Amino acid sequence: MKIKLPDSVASPQDIDGLITEIHEYARWFSHESIKVNAGIKQTSDQPILSPPTTEMLQNWQKQNSLSQTSLDSLISSLKEYLTNAPTIAIILAAPVTNSTRDKLVKWCRQNIATNVLVEFSFNSTLLGGLVVRYGSRIFDWSFRSRLLAASNNFTKVLRNV
Amino acid sequence: MSLTFLQAFLIINILIIGILIAIAIRHLLAHLRPQPEEHRLAHSNENSIKLPKEVKEKLLKTAQINFQTVLDHSASELQRDLKITATQVNHRLEKLSQQMINDEMKLYHTSLEELRQQAEANIKAAQVEIDNHQAELKSQLATKQAELEAEMRQEVAAEKQSLLEQIDTKLADAVMALLTETLGHNVDLGAQNAYLIATLEEHKKDLKKGLIDEN
Repeated sequence: MKIKLPDSVASPQDIDGLITEIHEYARWFSHESIKVNAGIKQTSDQPILSPPTTEMLQNWQKQNSLSQTSLDSLISSLKEYLTNAPTIAIILAAPVTNSTRDKLVKWCRQNIATNVLVEFSFNSTLLGGLVVRYGSRIFDWSFRSRLLAASNNFTKVLRNV
Repeated sequence: MSLTFLQAFLIINILIIGILIAIAIRHLLAHLRPQPEEHRLAHSNENSIKLPKEVKEKLLKTAQINFQTVLDHSASELQRDLKITATQVNHRLEKLSQQMINDEMKLYHTSLEELRQQAEANIKAAQVEIDNHQAELKSQLATKQAELEAEMRQEVAAEKQSLLEQIDTKLADAVMALLTETLGHNVDLGAQNAYLIATLEEHKKDLKKGLIDEN
């Protein structure tokens, strides 16, 4: 079954977290179902879910009835997604903010591949821009590399000042 | 040739002097040994005429005086001839030696002149050779100097360029370090969002191609 991840779920680690939370939720859901079937009125509190997990479950619930089987199916689908999805790494000059992450993930899923996963990290020496790594390929579009590449022009400009 | 002539002349002179000395000795011996003749005359006189003792003594004395006179005269003649001969020989020798000296001097002068001319020619040739060599050396020196100057100019230019590049590199490194130090801690990603998206848009094809190639 095809899954559409929220943009806030970007990296494999995010999917792992999602799977863990859904797993917890599925266990809770199973227990609560047994209690309902057994006529036990005492219920336990629902596990606290993160917004992406909540969004994911809501989306899933629109397509499938919520059951232990469908939740297991969701977890399997997420694990399969994790295995098959291409992953790119984006290195920025500072720790990524949520808004920046969402925008970049959205762009990647619209323009590169719909199922792409994005790992973020930062390196302050980049000064700005970004470095994209996919497998053995590295695309360096950072300010640092641009400055270094244009060091000759830089000295020319300095001479003309 | 003059030496041979002189030798011949001297030999002839010695020969003449020898002949004269031999004649004089012969005369002297003839006068000093009159006895056989006197004996013969005495015998003949004894055989022919008997002269008184006073006459004999007188004749003998007269003969002795005459002989002495002839002998003196011959000796003086011989002495005079010897003097003349010696004078002539001396004169000849002097003349000959003078001529020899003149000839030798002339020859010496000629040889000296030849040597001088030869030395002069050699000196001129050597001077020409030295001038040529000097000109060649000057030419080589000028060429070498020009080459060295050109090489030095190139080296100076290269060194200058190298120093300029080093300065540029150092300057760029310094500015880079300054930028890194200044901007590294104050990066606003929010302000870079548009730039980041624009960069990704710009390299969208590269990213897609990378994904396709890796898969």
